[in-house]
Amino acid sequence: MSEVPVIENSANEVMVKAVDLCKVVSTSEGQLTILKGINLEIKKSESVAIVGASGSGKTTVLSLLAGLDNPTQGEIFLGGDEITAMDEEQRAHTRGNKVGFVFQTFQLLSSLTALENVMLPAELKKDSEAEQKALRLLQRVGLDHRSHHYPRQLSGGEQQRVAIARAFASSASILFADEPTGNLDSKTGAKIIDLIFELNAEFGTTLVLVTHDSRLADRCDRAIHIASGVIVTGEEIE
Amino acid sequence: MIQIGLALKLLWRDWRSGELTLLLVSLIIAISTVTTITLFVDRLQQALLLESSSFLAADVVISSSDPIRPELLEHAAKLGLEQAETLSFLSMVFSSDRAQFSSVKAVDDNYPLRGKLIVSDEPFVGGGIADKGPEPGRVWLESRLFPSLDLKQGELLDVGVSSLTASRVLIKEPDRGGGFDATGPRVLMNLEDVAGTGVVQPGSRLTYRYLFAGAPELIEDFSAWVKPKLDENSRLIGVKQGTQGIGNALDRAERFLLLGGLLGVILAGVAIALSAQRYSLRHYDHVAILKTLGASPVAVDSLFSIIFLVLGTVATLIGTLLGYVFQEAAVTILSPYIPVTLPQPTFAPILLGMVTGFVCLLSFALPPLVKLRGIEPIRVIRRDLEGGATSNLLSYSAAIIGTLGLMWWYSKNIELTLMIFAGATCALAVLALISMTLLQSGRVLGIQAGSAWRLALGGMQRRAKENTLQIMVFGLAIMLLLILFLVRTALLDDWQAQIPEDAPNHFAINIAPEDVEPIETLMRARNLVPQPVYPMIRGRISLINGDAASERDDQRRRQQGNDERRGPGSNSGRNLTWSGTLPIDNTLVSGEWWTEDYSGEPLVSIEEDLAQTNDLKVGDALVFNIQGRELPARIASIRTVSWDNMKPNFYIIFSPGALADFPSTFMTSFHLDKEQKLLLNELIREFPTMTVIEVDAVIEQIQIIISQVTLAVELVLVLIMVSGAMVLLASIQASMDERFKQHAILRTLGASRKLVLGSLLIEFCALGAMAGLLATFGSELIVYGLETQIFELEYKLNPEIWLLGPLVGFVLIGCLGTIATRKVVNTPPNIVLRESV
Repeated sequence: MSEVPVIENSANEVMVKAVDLCKVVSTSEGQLTILKGINLEIKKSESVAIVGASGSGKTTVLSLLAGLDNPTQGEIFLGGDEITAMDEEQRAHTRGNKVGFVFQTFQLLSSLTALENVMLPAELKKDSEAEQKALRLLQRVGLDHRSHHYPRQLSGGEQQRVAIARAFASSASILFADEPTGNLDSKTGAKIIDLIFELNAEFGTTLVLVTHDSRLADRCDRAIHIASGVIVTGEEIE
Repeated sequence: MIQIGLALKLLWRDWRSGELTLLLVSLIIAISTVTTITLFVDRLQQALLLESSSFLAADVVISSSDPIRPELLEHAAKLGLEQAETLSFLSMVFSSDRAQFSSVKAVDDNYPLRGKLIVSDEPFVGGGIADKGPEPGRVWLESRLFPSLDLKQGELLDVGVSSLTASRVLIKEPDRGGGFDATGPRVLMNLEDVAGTGVVQPGSRLTYRYLFAGAPELIEDFSAWVKPKLDENSRLIGVKQGTQGIGNALDRAERFLLLGGLLGVILAGVAIALSAQRYSLRHYDHVAILKTLGASPVAVDSLFSIIFLVLGTVATLIGTLLGYVFQEAAVTILSPYIPVTLPQPTFAPILLGMVTGFVCLLSFALPPLVKLRGIEPIRVIRRDLEGGATSNLLSYSAAIIGTLGLMWWYSKNIELTLMIFAGATCALAVLALISMTLLQSGRVLGIQAGSAWRLALGGMQRRAKENTLQIMVFGLAIMLLLILFLVRTALLDDWQAQIPEDAPNHFAINIAPEDVEPIETLMRARNLVPQPVYPMIRGRISLINGDAASERDDQRRRQQGNDERRGPGSNSGRNLTWSGTLPIDNTLVSGEWWTEDYSGEPLVSIEEDLAQTNDLKVGDALVFNIQGRELPARIASIRTVSWDNMKPNFYIIFSPGALADFPSTFMTSFHLDKEQKLLLNELIREFPTMTVIEVDAVIEQIQIIISQVTLAVELVLVLIMVSGAMVLLASIQASMDERFKQHAILRTLGASRKLVLGSLLIEFCALGAMAGLLATFGSELIVYGLETQIFELEYKLNPEIWLLGPLVGFVLIGCLGTIATRKVVNTPPNIVLRESV
């Protein structure tokens, strides 16, 4: 693994840091700038909502911060490691060890049962206790009785609960969530929000989420507003 | 390195969810088809070789007018070859009050090494197998000798100065053979009795035959060793040279079976590539999710490599086993129709099947899989992203190298491999171009047509790229099937034409000029169809453009050595004839044929092989030595002769009148059924100078072999058709996901089942018809190349397939497509939409 700069570790440890982040993509009509000069810091155990209108670039920020995509320019540090200096192999390793995800479309493997989906991150890390851990987490999200059901046999809310259990199964220190309630009705969405925040508090994870849902944004410590690819405000929520 | 356990778990889960079924089935079908074909062909080839060996009563024979040097036999013994010896000569044989000119064959106790002697206790009756020839002191006589010599079983027959007991009736001997040395009815005696007869004297015309049998590689070694050691009076005869008439049929059948195997490999490869592509596509999302969960590209590689390795091993084991079972079943079902017992298969075809499985997997399934490593994790958020940036060059080169390699390995024939490969590639390129154009032009039609039509044509154009690929795959499968079908039909026609049911199976030679008409009258009276009567005079070429022919022969022999392929010599004694018309089955290659009433200077027409071997051209001046007199003649034409047709054929034909000054005898041929055989006695009694050569046994054997080969050819065609159908299914399956989604949306918007089903039917029928039309075009092109270059057949345009091709495409793809995608309309749209979110 190549050497990556490590930032200072303190009580106010910075878990996520972006420096001068830019993302430009090529389209048939020429170059399109999605993000320009994004700078941000997110501290340990903090919960941050990235909000903005559709097409503002908020999902792009999330995918860059999580190491799912490469910026055109700028640096990203995740738990002290500069992921922008890593190759895909090293980034995968970092994702496996530090990051958990919850997506709007759940992203469960359709050929695996609920239990098998939750076991997956631990299995990838060759954890011999993958099954017990997964069962405990399924129990925690209230789905232990559905552990052998396939995603197509579960409702949207149940699928998202499985996805949340899977996100915490990797013992991640940072949880990224992309519109986690976007595909759910408001009642189910509210339950999912509760679950995410409960587990976040329990596991002491740092939470970064992208949302349109003001109820969800309101539950976060602060919100970062993005418009046309730049941060317009980054305010603390009372 | 990811754990093997996880890979196996994913494999098992994929299998359980049905994701792997098509890929596994394609692989199993590929391997079992290849194994079935190769196992069956292997057994059939062994059987054919054995059957053909029985024509010689051995695997290889040295035929010589003198005894051969003992060290040659010692070497064969050292190699462990079985040996037998026969001695043939023509002699008068006598009963108490009659005499008959006969063809006597003396055999040792090892004879025959291959094939069976059939003997009976009553003339003209079935009989049973005898392991060896007659004991010393006894002779076996051919059925018709008993009435013609007025002899009873157990009575004495005089051969030379010996009296031998006529103990049994000889019904059939394996190496009875055609050719002009098999004149006269057969007397079979023991070799030990020959010395006592006093028949063998210095200067007697004798034929010694040394028979050898053993493992193919030993026979090959021995043949190669002995060939250069033989003098000019000896000849080495292998199975193919020894079986005039079937050598070609065997060669062509072998090539056809190989062609079938080749096409099977290509079809299997396409089916595997398609299902692997689908498997890979359906795993893009899985890989993206795995990557977000921390799986690295190397981990993805090893994960899917393990999955594919296990898959390949399972498919190979099941495929090989199924292949073995299929061919056993085929052999069992077909055994009543196969006149010989098939030997057990060798291990080679099983190995071939296994290797095929893994090569197919590597070259066709790996490239789409390699794409998986490049899937970006961002795909979990943006699903529109394509697969990784793995070079297409890698995919194509792997497929091309794999296909070419397997094709070459199968056929051991680079010419055939390259021809099929180049032909198929060109045809595919043309297919792609034309189908793109056709799809584009459908737009105008589509706008005006009814709803289902608009939906179907609109769909076809929207997915022009995918549909072009699908037409190419459909077209390729139909094209390969048509090729095999056309070549098979041409082969069978050719074989049937070669020896029709009523082909002449007896030759009559030495007919005195005054007997010609009475013989023709007698034949007509007995309802025999008279064939052309040819005059026949022995003679040889003595001078070629003033040079001595014998010297030219010697010179050529020195240059070429004792090669059995050195061709006919110019100075050898030959049967000469004259004719006003070009015999049927002869074709002029240069020069001109004379008019029927030609009466100018003597002209000759020379057979192509004789002309080429001895460098003879139209216009050359020859001098013939006929009955001690010289006759100059000019070469007027060179012609090919169909030696396989079992009719009188001549190397040299003179113009009418050229041989008028020479006393000649005549020859003809005729067809005689088994039950008419006694007529021969009547003929011979009435025309004692005439000699009859019986080739009915040979023709019967050739027909048996050809029927076996035909059966093999048909079986291979059926197997390949199954592979073809598999490719079509795989290709339809490959487009299922897209169709599912599209039609689910349409049904949600209120489209009726009928409309969706109608549009699917129209779309598949249209794709099928287009593919069929293009396949017809491609197959005609490739078949032209194959028939003229590889199978040495005469190419004929096949107007019927221009209707058949598109029709097969229309019906087959229409039905298969609609049946396979029926699920599209039967699955509730909410389930489809929910799963594809």
